[in-house]
Amino acid sequence: MRLAVGSVLFVLAVFFALILQEFIPPVKALHGARVLLVPMIFCYAAMVMPAWLMLLAALFTGFLTDLNYLHVVDGQVEIGLGFSIVFFVLFGLLANGFQPAFRRGHWWLHILLSALGTSVFLLLQFGMITLRREGFFFNELVAWRILGPGLMAAVLSPLLHLLVVQAGQFLPDDINALGGYRDER
Amino acid sequence: MNRIVIVLVAVILVVAVFLSTLGSDTARRLQSGFFNWISPFLKTGSGLQSQIGSVGEKMKTFDELMAENARLTTENKELRAMNLILRDLEAENNKLKDALAYQRNSVFKLVPARVIGRDASTWWNTIRINRGFEDGIEENQPVLTDVGLVGKTMTVGKNMSTVLLITDESCKVAARVEGSRESGILNGLRVQENTGSGELQLNFLTKMANLQPGQKIYTAGVSNGVFPPGILIGTVKSFKVRSLDGQAIVEPAVDISSVEDVFVKVDDK
Repeated sequence: MRLAVGSVLFVLAVFFALILQEFIPPVKALHGARVLLVPMIFCYAAMVMPAWLMLLAALFTGFLTDLNYLHVVDGQVEIGLGFSIVFFVLFGLLANGFQPAFRRGHWWLHILLSALGTSVFLLLQFGMITLRREGFFFNELVAWRILGPGLMAAVLSPLLHLLVVQAGQFLPDDINALGGYRDER
Repeated sequence: MNRIVIVLVAVILVVAVFLSTLGSDTARRLQSGFFNWISPFLKTGSGLQSQIGSVGEKMKTFDELMAENARLTTENKELRAMNLILRDLEAENNKLKDALAYQRNSVFKLVPARVIGRDASTWWNTIRINRGFEDGIEENQPVLTDVGLVGKTMTVGKNMSTVLLITDESCKVAARVEGSRESGILNGLRVQENTGSGELQLNFLTKMANLQPGQKIYTAGVSNGVFPPGILIGTVKSFKVRSLDGQAIVEPAVDISSVEDVFVKVDDK
């Protein structure tokens, strides 16, 4: 029951985060960096879900992310479907490894991993685009575009954690899919 | 790591590899299906956003609204009159072209569309519009406003499409310079401070082009190309000579970061 509720909430959260992202304007103070919510939400799920469920979550998140960002110009796919799936599997395995520490109350690990995951995702996207198109360059603006969303994820992840823990208090402990480590105490 | 996890990782990686081998048409079809799922939510969100944005507008006084109404009525009459004149001119132009044995340019058929989303990706410049194949939209059709060129349609869903903006590096447009025989290929930049209203670069000009700031850039309209000739793209901001060619930096005519309504030029069938 607990996992079923958690899974449904996760699916809804990822789906609506993809839509919500479209309405969040770029952050001018961070040189036009975008706010990416999906890696942050996935990171949280990876830190509270069992490994097998996290992998299914990675498949779902990666597939939707790939479909959302699919860029086909003149019959050429810039980043093929499957890239985000591989990324979220690897990122999920890393985040899942920190689950024991997270359950012990080290909630700040989510901040670090969200920032890291978001920035690495963008760095890999940039690398793949650079390989596909001609001409490599890396300047301050590119760095901001990669690090800025990571920074935003670090700022927003405590809010997500707080929201999840508060929402979890409204559910009985036996189906508390949200609190993460809360019912382990 | 237990056995189930290892098996799952292997299966998911096989799925990912399989997906990566899909052709662009299949990938587009999948994306189009995904658009069908998200388009109702994007339309609702866009509607809410514009309602919130128009709260200040609704605070106008009755007198202000009356004045605005009068101004718009006059403007509407002017535009109607101008439209009639332009229709006559267009007919006359087509007749002359026929007479000169030019291929007759078909009249634009434009489908109005509303921007319902701005792609949250970092590396691509796209917008989403509320029209799809049900409205006659197809891939690779020009998207414009009354001011100038915006981009071209990319993936088309049932009633939502993605538009690749001219500010994107991968959107290449054959362009010509007003008042000269110079032409080149125009595209956006991979990364720039303000992607919505950023700069474009016009490459492959001759070294002697010596373009001046303010000169207008129009689509050149190559055969079998996406963009018809004569659509305003922007104005020259600066010009520099490179080792092999000349390059102009162009400011787009349309401020894409604030555009809300666009038109898609569909085929006349």
